[in-house]
Formats: sequence, structure tokens, C-alpha cells
Amino acid sequence: MLLEYLDVFISGMTIGSVYALMAVGLTLVYGVSRAFNFAYGSFYSLGGYIAWVLMMLIGLRGGYFMVFALAIPILMVFGYFTEKAIVAPLRKRSDWEVKVMMITLGLALFMDNGYQVLFGPRMKSLPPIMDGAIEAGGIYISNQDLMIFILSITGILAFRWILNNTRIGMAVRAVAQNPDGAQIVGIPKDKIFAATFGISTVMVGAGGVLLAQKYFISPMGGWDILVKSWVITAFGGMGSIRGGLYAAFILGLLEAFVGYWFGLNWVLFALFAVLLTTLAIRPQGLMGKWG
Amino acid sequence: MSMNWKSMSAFIAVIYGIMAIMPLFVGDVDHLMHILIMCLIWAVVASCWDLIMGFAGIFSFGQVAFFVIGAYASAIFSIDFGINPFFAMLLAGTVAGGFGVLVGLPCLRLKGAYVALVTFAVHMILEPFLKSGMGRAIGTGGSMGILTIPPLELFGISFTADNKIAVFYAALVLAVVCSVIIMLVIRSFWGTAFLALKDSEDFAASLGVSGLRYKLAVFALTSFLTGLVGGFYGHYVGMLSTRMLGIDLFVTLMIMLVLGGIGQYPGVILGAIMTVGINENLSALGSYRPMILGAMVVVLVLLLPDGIIGLLRRFAFWKTSAGEKAVTGGVDNN
Repeated sequence: MLLEYLDVFISGMTIGSVYALMAVGLTLVYGVSRAFNFAYGSFYSLGGYIAWVLMMLIGLRGGYFMVFALAIPILMVFGYFTEKAIVAPLRKRSDWEVKVMMITLGLALFMDNGYQVLFGPRMKSLPPIMDGAIEAGGIYISNQDLMIFILSITGILAFRWILNNTRIGMAVRAVAQNPDGAQIVGIPKDKIFAATFGISTVMVGAGGVLLAQKYFISPMGGWDILVKSWVITAFGGMGSIRGGLYAAFILGLLEAFVGYWFGLNWVLFALFAVLLTTLAIRPQGLMGKWG
Repeated sequence: MSMNWKSMSAFIAVIYGIMAIMPLFVGDVDHLMHILIMCLIWAVVASCWDLIMGFAGIFSFGQVAFFVIGAYASAIFSIDFGINPFFAMLLAGTVAGGFGVLVGLPCLRLKGAYVALVTFAVHMILEPFLKSGMGRAIGTGGSMGILTIPPLELFGISFTADNKIAVFYAALVLAVVCSVIIMLVIRSFWGTAFLALKDSEDFAASLGVSGLRYKLAVFALTSFLTGLVGGFYGHYVGMLSTRMLGIDLFVTLMIMLVLGGIGQYPGVILGAIMTVGINENLSALGSYRPMILGAMVVVLVLLLPDGIIGLLRRFAFWKTSAGEKAVTGGVDNN
């Protein structure tokens, strides 16, 4: 009984770590540019499909190392130019916020059905990143879960390091604090907006690569991810990386335990309840600043 | 900003007037009549969306959800409780309106994208709910949906799919009534209050315009009307499933709004009619259809900032009246 709970706990921590990576990407774009990306879930699927094409269709050698080495630049470029093409032109308009949501929703429908046309409606699976398991005193942790956890956390730490220690990271923070001020001191605001969009695409796409091996890739599979990333972001607090991290683990565990006790159908209801409770009691989330 | 009272009523009268004589030409072509009926139904739903989003400035993404709630509620009332479909529709509108208030309440404290996401979450959660055991317990029929919804019957006329001309005129009456209500709201103190709130919430509040009351009222009104029309739709087609909650329908509704122009009422009515027509022509493309709909949104949002109304205005120099400029100009200084 206790060991079963431990299994559920480990599964919750694993999912939680990937959710954290993806939620941080979502909060980054909203925090820096106030643009909400409804195609976020489709970008998740994009990561999964890129990995599937590379590994299963082309038969790329070198395992997941090569997949990440190729997928990250592809996702970065894709995100950067998506922002340039469809989000940036809207910024000048007065109702751009809702227009961005609409246009990205259209993009999501386009991409999801594009996957369906290209890859068919059947679910795709990927091989595990690592075989085998660690066993100690009856506790059993698969190497796959462990690797997913380590890679997600590494991704978040790398992101934090970039944000705090590099010139581009500082520029991102400056734009987030005051876009006009940043531009006055010579920071190319528009490029930063596009770059953050690219970085967030990388984060959610990498999440897609990581989760696709545990679950499956399907054309419409991204919508769950969009909702979950957003609930995590709202729960943790918009713009707070640490809040997002805590929230992701709490909700990852909630998902694992609700799924274990009541069935997977209830996960969405539980998340919705968390969302409403959060917004009713503490709209700024666990650690976020309101806005 | 928007048209004046006269051109607005003229625009609506022309569109619905043309619609009203259509059965003379295509009354015996069954599928064309169906398309016309759907034009009217979606015109109402899209108009409601325009009212809450374009005028009240509330990013509600729950319009399809309220439509589905109304459709299911009306079907359940008439099947499980034996209520006359006409009253079931009114009740269903009330239920949808109640949900609108419930959803609106947390949204009052929220800003921008948050409102979109809470309302969209309602949309996302509705399908699993309708399919779940809870849904089945209240009569949604689970994954099967509801298959035998009794038709609306009034004055001895049965508004079934076999009698599309009757359904069409019933839908026309419904659409005209809803359009007049929406127009009255836009032109009333409400509409002015919304403009003020949208331009500067703080300034409007300092003048004593309560954002809370008006926002809640617009949530209630738009979801009531949308639910009512949802009920009408259910009694007309006779069956319901959760397929309506797919993203493609949501995006189709969005195309209506973008095509007509957000906040450019009554452009959205024209947008709805055109979109239903376009969508019908796309159905031959099968699985490419949703892709094209998605691409259409992207292109239209980029190229048509104010929809068709904006285009018309640019070409024909439609001028807004001086009186209206005074109203909107007065709240511009924040």
C-alpha cells in the first residue's frame, strides 16, 4: 500500500517537473510581453512530432541527445518567426491582447489538423530515454522517470541561469519591467519579444519530447497541456518562476493522486476546482505579483 | 467607433429583410434552408459574443459553452421533465444565464487574459462533464448524446426539420428580437458605460459607473440569449452531442466575429452569414477544412482589423454622427 503510494508520488514528481518547465515558458511570454499564446499546446505536440520524425521516420542515430540538439534550434527558430509573423504585427492595435489570443487559437487549430493530415489520427509513441531502473530496499524508480526529472530541472535551472547571468537574459528582464524604458537604453524590444516567444517554444517543445515517451503524441493532445500549464501558472503566480515550480509539483502530485484514487477523468475537474479556488481567494497566485 | 442608431437599424433591416424573402427562392431546397436557419442561429450567438467582447471589453471565451449548456438544458427539460419545448427554451436560457453569472462572478476581479482563460476552461471542462457519470445522471446521455429531442410546437405548427420554412421564420423572429435587444443595449446607458469602462476603468469608476454591475448584467444577458438560441437549435435538429464543443466550431464563431468586425455591431451578423456560407463550401475538403478555418483566422485577424464594416467604411466613407463622437470623445481622456 505504502509502496503503491510511493509509485504514485514518483509519477507525480516526474510529471510535475515537466509541467514546471512548460509553465515557466508560458509565464515568461505573458510576463514579458502580455501576449497569451493559445497555440502553446500545439507547440508541445510539435516537440513530440519533431522527436518522432527524427527518431522513427528518419531513424536518426545518437538517441535523445541528438534529438534535443536538433529540436531545440528548430523550435527556437519556429517560435521566433511565429512571433514575428503573427503576433508582432498586432501589437500596434488597441485591442491587440484579444487579437493575439484569437490568432494563436486559429494557429492551434491549423497546426493540430496539420498534424492529423501529415501523421494521421493514430497516436505515436517514442522509445524511453533510458531503460532499466534503480531498486533500493523495495523502492523502484525507473531510469526513464529519473532522466525526465533531471532533464526538466536542468532545463529550468539553465533558463534561470540565462535569465540572471547573460546579456540577453538581462535584456528580457528589463523589457519585462519596462518595455519603453528598455528601448530607450537601446534594448531591441521587438527582438526580445520574439526571442522570449522562441525560448518558451523551446521549453514547451522540450516538454513534449520528454512527456511523449511516457504518454503518447496525438494531434489534439496539446489542449490538456495548455490548460494544465495555465492552471499551474495561475496557481503559482504569473511571472514567478519559483511559484510556478512549486505549483507544478503540487499540481503534478494532485494529478497523480486524483488519477490514482478517482480515475483520470477527474483530473481536469480537480484542476478546475483548484483554479477557481485560487482565483477566488488569492488571485495573484502562490507567489506572483498581480497583473 | 460604431455606427449610429439609424444606419445600425437600416443595416439590420436590410440583412434580415433579404433573409426574409429568401424562402421564396430556395424554400424547396432543403439543405439551403438548413444553411439559412444556421445563419440566423449563429448570427445571434456571434452578436452576443460581440456584445460581451467587442462592447463590454470582457474577453469571454465561453460563448460556445453557453450555447451547448442551453441546448442540453432545453433538451433535458423537455425530455425528462415533460416541459413544453417553448418554456423549456426559456428555462434553458435562464439556466445558461445563471451559469453566465456564476462564471462572470470570478471574472469581475480578473483582468484581460485571465478572463479568457477562466471562460475557456469552462468550455474545456464541459465536454468531460457532459460525458461523465455526473452528466449521465442529469440526462446528457454521456458519449451518446441526446437523440430524440421533441420539436418546438406553437400555434399548432410543429417546427421540425421536415418543416424548414416554419423553423426559418421562427429563427428569424428570434434573431430580430435578439438583435433589437442587443442594439438597445449598445445604444443605451449600458453601451455608453461599457465604452467608458473600456477606455478607462478607473476614470469611469470615479464618475460613478459601476463596472461590476454592468459586467455581471452583460454576462447574464448574453449567456441567456445564447442559451435560448442553443435550446432552439436542439429542438430543431432533434439531437445533440458534445461534438459541438470541438475547437473547430469555436474558431468558426471567431471567424464570424473577425469577419464582421469586433465591436462593429451589426457587422457581425453579416460576418455570421458569410462564415456559414464559406464553411458550407469548405465541407467538400473534408479533413483539410479545420486547417483552412485556422489559417483563415490568422489571415483575417492580420488583414481585416475592423472586419468588413471597417472595409466598407474605408471605401464608402461611412461617417459616424457628430453626436456619437461627442459621447465617445468625452470618456477618451484618461
